[in-house]
Amino acid sequence: MAVDVGVDTRPDADTRTDNERQRPRRLGDTAFALVLTLPGLALLCAVVLYPLITALVTAFFEQSLVFPGRTFVGFDNIRDVLTGNFGQTLRQTLVFTIGTTIAPFVVGFALALALNTRLRGRNLLRGVLLVPWLVPGVVVSFLWMWIFNANYGVANGVLEALGVIDDPQAWLAQPVTAMAAVIIAKTWASFPWMMVMLLAGLQTVPTELHEAAEVDGAGTIRRFFKVTLPHIKGIVGLVLLLEFIWNFQHFDIIYVLTGGGPAGMTQTFATRVYETAFKGFDLGHAGALGLLWMVLLLALVAVYVRFSERGEQR
Amino acid sequence: MTAMVTMHREAQVDGGQPNAVPPPKGKLRRESRGVRISSWIAVVVFGAFGLLPIYWLLVTSLTPDSQVFRYPPSFLPRSLTLDHYASLAENPDLFRYLVNSVIVSVITALASVIVSAYMAYSFSKFRYRGRRSLMYLVLASQMFPQALLLVTLYTVFSAYGLLNTYTALVLSFTTFTLPLCVWMLKGFFDTIPDELIEAARVDGASRMRTIHSIVLPLSAPGLVAAGLFAFVRGWNDFIFALTLAGPHKQTLPPGLVNTFVGEAQTSWPALMAASLVTSLPVVIAFIALQRYLVGGITAGAVKG
Repeated sequence: MAVDVGVDTRPDADTRTDNERQRPRRLGDTAFALVLTLPGLALLCAVVLYPLITALVTAFFEQSLVFPGRTFVGFDNIRDVLTGNFGQTLRQTLVFTIGTTIAPFVVGFALALALNTRLRGRNLLRGVLLVPWLVPGVVVSFLWMWIFNANYGVANGVLEALGVIDDPQAWLAQPVTAMAAVIIAKTWASFPWMMVMLLAGLQTVPTELHEAAEVDGAGTIRRFFKVTLPHIKGIVGLVLLLEFIWNFQHFDIIYVLTGGGPAGMTQTFATRVYETAFKGFDLGHAGALGLLWMVLLLALVAVYVRFSERGEQR
Repeated sequence: MTAMVTMHREAQVDGGQPNAVPPPKGKLRRESRGVRISSWIAVVVFGAFGLLPIYWLLVTSLTPDSQVFRYPPSFLPRSLTLDHYASLAENPDLFRYLVNSVIVSVITALASVIVSAYMAYSFSKFRYRGRRSLMYLVLASQMFPQALLLVTLYTVFSAYGLLNTYTALVLSFTTFTLPLCVWMLKGFFDTIPDELIEAARVDGASRMRTIHSIVLPLSAPGLVAAGLFAFVRGWNDFIFALTLAGPHKQTLPPGLVNTFVGEAQTSWPALMAASLVTSLPVVIAFIALQRYLVGGITAGAVKG
C-alpha cells in the first residue's frame, strides 16, 4: 500500500517538535495516523481479504472441506459450474434480488411519502414500522414459515376467506409460490430501512420550493415529479443500489425459510456456495461458483463506489 | 393504487387553477384532501403488511397449543397462556444459547468500539496519502459475500484451533461492523473542532491522551450508538454462528434452528415465543439507540 510516512504538510509541524523534545522517538503524525488504523486493518486482512483471495484460489483446485491436501485442476471446476445449473442459479438470484429491491422500495417510498405529510400519529408509526427491520433474519424466516404454513397458516386462512384460493396451498413447497414467499419475507424485513432513508431524503426538500411551485400553479403530481423527485434522486439511486448489492448476497432468510427448495427452485448464489462447501464438502466447486459470483458482484461494487464518490464531492 | 392516482389527479386539478388563491403567508402548508386520503390508504395497506405479522407473532406465542393447530386460524384467540414462555425457561439448551449470545454480542460491541474509534479518528483528523484508499477498502469490505468468505474462513479458524470458540465469532463480527461503526464515529469526530485538539496539544497532552480524555468523552453518544449497532450485528447474525460454532458455543439464531426446525411437528407457539424473546433485546437496544442518535445529532448541530 502506497503510504507517505515522512512528509507532514501541516503548517505547525515545526513548532510541535519543541514541545516534544523529551520524547525523541515520537512518531510523525502520518505514522501515528496509520498506527491507529492497524487493528482494524489487521482484522480486515484476516477476516475479509485473506479468506476472500484464498476462496477464489480454491476455484482452481480440487479440495475437500474434511480431508487435507488439494490438487490443481485448472479451469475444470469453473467449466463444471458453467455447464451445470449456473444459468438457473443466476436467474433465481436475479429474480430474488430484483424482487427484493423493487418491492421494499415501493412499500418504503409510499410509506415515506405518507409519513412526510402532517398525518396524525406519524411519529408513532415511524417508530413502530421499524420493528420488522430490527428482528433477526431467522426470526423473519420463522414468522413467515408459520404464516405460509400449509396446514394451519394464516395466509391460507385469509386468502380463503377472501375467496382468492379455494383450498389451502403449500406455499413453500411449490416453485413459484416458494420464491414469492421468500421475496415477501425479505420485503417485510427491508422496507423499513427504505422508508427511513427516503423519509430522511424527503425532509431535506425545502418547503419554499413546494410553495413557490404551488404559487406557480403546479399540482401535487407535477410538484412530485418536478420538485420532490429531482431533489431526492441521489438518495433513491443509492438505496436501490445498496439494497440490490445486499440482496445479491443475501443468505439467512432464504436458507431458513426454504433451504433453497423445493427442488432447488429458490437456490441463489449465496445458498448454493454455502451448500456446496458445507454440505457437499466440495471447496473447489464452491470456490468456482464464488469466483463467478464475485465477478458479477464487483461490477456492482464498482458502480457503488463511483456513486458514493460522486456524492462526496458534491 | 388506482385510487391513489385518481386522488392525485383530483388534487392536481384543484391546485392547478390559475386563479387559485395562494396559501396565506406564514401558515404551514396544508395538504390537499387528495394527498391526505392517499396517505391514509398507503399507511393502512402497507402499515398492515408491516404490523400484522408482528401481531401474529405475539398472538401465536400466547395461544394454547389446542387452539393453534386448527384451521382456519382465528385472529382473536379465545384464551391466552404464558405456558410457552415458561417452557423456554426450562430448556437448558436455549438458556445456553442465550448466554452465548450475550457474551459474544457484548464483547463484539466493546471490541468494535475500540477498533473503529481509533480508525475513525485517523480518518477524521489526519490527512495522508492512501487515506481515501483505506476508507474505500473499509467501505467495500461489507460488499463481499459472507457465504464465500466462510468457505476459507472456516479452514483458517480450524487451522488455528479457533472453531467452536467465542473468539472466532467476535473476530468475525467485529470486522463486519467496522464499515458502519467507523463511518458513524468519523461523523462524530468531524464535529469536534480542530482548535480543541490543538489546545490540548499546546497544554502538553500527548496524542493518545488527547484521544482518550478529549475526543472520546465528547463523542460518548456516538460511541454508545456504534456499540449498540455492533451488539445488534452480533446478536442477529446467523451464518457465522451456524458455521463456526458448535452446539456449545452457538448463539440464539442458529440455536433456535437447531432446537425447533426439522422436528416432525414444529411447536409453533414455543418457536414464536422464543423468536419474540430473541428479538426483544434488539428492539430495546434500538429504542435506546434512537435517543442517543438524536442527542448526538443535535449536539453536533449546536457545536458546529
